[in-house]
Amino acid sequence: MSAPEAATLPLFVSADAQRPIAWRRGAPVPLAEFRAHVAAVVARLPKQTAPAAMIDLCEDRYKFLVAYAAALSVGHTVLLPSSRAEQVVADVANANVGSYRIDDEAVDAAFAQGSSDAVNDRIPADLTAMVGYTSGSTGQPKTFPKLWRTVSGSNARNAQAIRAALPDKTATVWVLATVPPQHMYGMEMSVLLPLAGDMAVHAGRPLFPADIAAALAELPRPRVLVTTPVHMRAILGSDQQFPAVDVIVSATAPLDQPLAAAVTAKLGGEMVEMFGSTETCVFASRLTAREEQWRLYDGVRLEPRDDGTLVHAPWFVEPVLLQDMVELQPGNRFVVRGRSSDMIEVAGKRASLTDLTKRLLAIPGVQEAAVFQPDPDAVGTIRRVAALVVAPKLTAREVLDQLASGVDSAFLPRPLLIVDQLPRNELGKLPRENLLKALRRE
Amino acid sequence: MSATQSAGERELAELIVTALNLEGVTPADIDPEAPLFKTGLGLDSIDALELALEISKRYGFQLRSDDENNVRIFSSLRSLAAHIATNRVTA
Repeated sequence: MSAPEAATLPLFVSADAQRPIAWRRGAPVPLAEFRAHVAAVVARLPKQTAPAAMIDLCEDRYKFLVAYAAALSVGHTVLLPSSRAEQVVADVANANVGSYRIDDEAVDAAFAQGSSDAVNDRIPADLTAMVGYTSGSTGQPKTFPKLWRTVSGSNARNAQAIRAALPDKTATVWVLATVPPQHMYGMEMSVLLPLAGDMAVHAGRPLFPADIAAALAELPRPRVLVTTPVHMRAILGSDQQFPAVDVIVSATAPLDQPLAAAVTAKLGGEMVEMFGSTETCVFASRLTAREEQWRLYDGVRLEPRDDGTLVHAPWFVEPVLLQDMVELQPGNRFVVRGRSSDMIEVAGKRASLTDLTKRLLAIPGVQEAAVFQPDPDAVGTIRRVAALVVAPKLTAREVLDQLASGVDSAFLPRPLLIVDQLPRNELGKLPRENLLKALRRE
Repeated sequence: MSATQSAGERELAELIVTALNLEGVTPADIDPEAPLFKTGLGLDSIDALELALEISKRYGFQLRSDDENNVRIFSSLRSLAAHIATNRVTA
């Protein structure tokens, strides 16, 4: 079901001039001031018609947000390279005729000059509002274009999921994010929530526990901390005292229930874990400290298939196939039963890498584990899985002995290496190349 | 040739190699003036998080990244060691 071409959707869900949209330099930024900043940037954008696309390289989250809103207001698409490395950005620029770059310096210059023009805040529903790029665990970069109606639709639900976890459903909500704005999760939670979700975002991007605590303390309540399991482990490991948090949002890697419970015990509030992918954006959430089942956003329907799960949502252009195998449960809920690409076959037997990982994590003394196939395409060899395990007090032999009690010997990882930490990238994910490097002890 | 490490820099180099499990890197071989992140040792923000935890345990203070000195402090082993020498709480 596609919207008529002429249809528009608002850039700001709430157009109240006094409502705060950001927190910057120790003070709220009301929407009226934000609009003036957007107008100033619009005045300095290239005056070209389609195809025009902005590569938003702003480091400052507020400037990123202003630049993003400016691009949409004049019908430009925003491109999100997977990194800021010059070659990656250049590849994206070369692949998009009519693209241009914007950075903190350019936005500062625009702010200094100013503009009294009004900002167009009716965005064509079918405008390609962003294009995500992933380096992926394997293969070439893929592009993920998203229409404005698609991101507006999913973000209205993200806002609902967060508000549902707050005692006061109508309060102004203040968001602090530890993730960068230019990847899909940071985009949804720190750029789109202030626009399509009517929340206010802190301009900073704190990294260390002490930074996170200081930035949180600046914000009024209710406070929402958008973060990842990696950042949460750092928070738990530090002696830092934290101000109370009302909602903690987690994504990018599966969060286990004990970590969720420990973090909410330290920071307070409710843990809302988001389920989605670069292909779909977020479409389900759960309160991980208290429940295992995911709850689908209103209007989303899952269709289990042999090769994965087809996701239907009213705001999608078309249904999207995910690799995850799910089990539907009553009340719009589901549980994940492994990814189909995680289904492995050894000597004719099938097992799930997710299941093997869970079994490893269940062994006392095992803190983290990653199970994967080093060479899934090799022919003529027994397809063994390998594992990296964080277990400071155990030897590989002890872990394997424990695992052997519940797992067919065909699926016992070889090698199983005890490592100090898993080779996560800066988003906390485990790209295949990092796993392989760790396996080769590089 | 890399410049000579001071005693404090050597101690920090050892902490970095141990905490981040940099197999194949010898602490004494870390150039005190080479970048720690991206180029140089090639550390990333997750390494920075790990390092901050280890530094807080060993030296008794919390690293901050959101002040203007951030880029300078993390630019090299030498600058990070100097920052630690100034801020350390434990002897």
